[in-house]
Amino acid sequence: MTNLTVAWMAIPFVLGFIIYLIPQTARFLALGVALLSTGYALQVFFTASPVEIQLLDSFGVSLAVDQLSGFFIITNAIVTAAVIFYCWPTGKSAFFYMNAVFLHGSVNATFICADFISLYVALEVISIASFLLMTYPRTDRSIWVGLRYLFVSNVAMLFYLVGAVLVYKAHHSFNFAGLEGSPPEAIAFIFLGLLAKGGIFVSGLWLPLTHSESDSPVSALLSGVVVKAGVFPLVRCALLLEELDPIVRFFGVGTAVLGVAYAVFEKDTKRMLAFHTISQLGFVLAAPAVGGFYALTHGLVKSALFLIAGILPSRSFKELHYKPIPTSIWVALIVASFSISGFPLLSGFGAKVLTSKNFLPWQVVGMNIAALGTAISFAKFIFLPHSKDTTESHSKKVQWGFWVAMALLLGGLIAANGVYYQAYTLKNIVKPLITIALGWLSYWFIFRKLNIKLPRTVEKIDHLMGVMSLTLLLLFWIVWTRSHFSILF
Amino acid sequence: MLEASIFATVLCGFLGTIFKKNLVMKIISMDIMSTGVIAYYVLVSSRDGVFTPILSLKNDVSYADPVPQAVILTAIVIGFSIQALMLVGVMKLSKDNPTLETQVIEENNTP
Repeated sequence: MTNLTVAWMAIPFVLGFIIYLIPQTARFLALGVALLSTGYALQVFFTASPVEIQLLDSFGVSLAVDQLSGFFIITNAIVTAAVIFYCWPTGKSAFFYMNAVFLHGSVNATFICADFISLYVALEVISIASFLLMTYPRTDRSIWVGLRYLFVSNVAMLFYLVGAVLVYKAHHSFNFAGLEGSPPEAIAFIFLGLLAKGGIFVSGLWLPLTHSESDSPVSALLSGVVVKAGVFPLVRCALLLEELDPIVRFFGVGTAVLGVAYAVFEKDTKRMLAFHTISQLGFVLAAPAVGGFYALTHGLVKSALFLIAGILPSRSFKELHYKPIPTSIWVALIVASFSISGFPLLSGFGAKVLTSKNFLPWQVVGMNIAALGTAISFAKFIFLPHSKDTTESHSKKVQWGFWVAMALLLGGLIAANGVYYQAYTLKNIVKPLITIALGWLSYWFIFRKLNIKLPRTVEKIDHLMGVMSLTLLLLFWIVWTRSHFSILF
Repeated sequence: MLEASIFATVLCGFLGTIFKKNLVMKIISMDIMSTGVIAYYVLVSSRDGVFTPILSLKNDVSYADPVPQAVILTAIVIGFSIQALMLVGVMKLSKDNPTLETQVIEENNTP
């Protein structure tokens, strides 16, 4: 298993360079990498005990592979494969596929590493690869959006580095387990880095612009898997150390409510999806023990939705009401929206039930509000008009790659039902149906007519940096008061 | 004392990233911040001694800790490559926005 893991981790980077040297092979090699990861993830699921690997003696790289990583890895594999199929007929250059493969490899690396420095390296490679993907169109806007992303994430990672060295100072080791007994400022610095990188709570407000202004396949990759790279270490730490668990859960609830509050008022399809990503990451964090399954369903559904949003005739919901979309696309849109609202028969339902079983009592209210908000925001998609006439001039031409990607992602959603089939009891089925019905009603009678435009001032780069310092203070205060209490009692 | 100066450097850099208006100045502030972080790693590694950790005939000296130094070397390389990448982006942007005022660029490029 050790050799297999190391080989699997190194192969994307080797193949990435080969792609650039032999551009004709780009699409095949990129697809091969995704298939390899699928195989590896299945292998992880069938290995009963978690694998711990320590490379190069005690100060070397430490890796940990378990079921949780398996879920994240398979999400990454399926989403990457779908995006490659989507791009297959579009004539993207080898440079695009090279970066997609690098991104895939580095995201995989974050899902198995168990020490702060390997994590740092993997996260920084992710920043670079996603910057290059975002700026692929070479327009001024895409360059600015990419620069902004790189700037925010690099500053966050500098804070993270300070936290990492504080952990080392306390334990002479960079291992995740070293967070226990580290000074509160170490935890605050590291969490700030991960929260900003993962797009969580107020420090994640860079995310909507970045995800909505990128190309749709790139948005699908970013929203489907890349943000999970920041979330996964938080989940890992929460599972490893009991005292961090409430902090992670708190940020989970906070981000779930914040994201959905923006999403219900949003009038732009891609921005709504991006805000909704912020909210859904909260569900992953709110119940760390079962976060893997939720991350899988969210990754699949969100990348499907971004790919669909890319081929809709317009980006504004208002205009979409006058431009009917082809029925075939509408069906795909409906399946994805139903899954994310938690409708039975799709795996979004199983994931929601499983997650809500693991909530603590104080989380339930917040998360129910978030689930209701999800139903409201996706009612915007569900009630869009559609027509059989596909020859309309303003609907963009749909290529075969799109349908293969949809088959893969939506098929995955249906197949993933098998992971938690115990969810299908009468009581479990009724609750999401009520939530969805309430959501649709309130959409139809209230939110459809509302015309509130939330200010976008907080998304300016100066404010993003300022909010980072506030988050740092908040984190430090939370960690410090908690450690204080544990001394008292 | 050293630790205080290092944190002052990090803080100065961070405040610079917020308050500087020019994009290049923002990137330079980020560089100052990373200089502070690197210095902190060096400080941590010199806690037990300042001797270069290379095996030599002198045995009874207190060596510096090699691990943080090795780690920060990686971080320096990554940091500098990211800065290079960002400066290339800034060069491209400067064609249409010669002053590189962040506010102006932001207004032009936000929907």
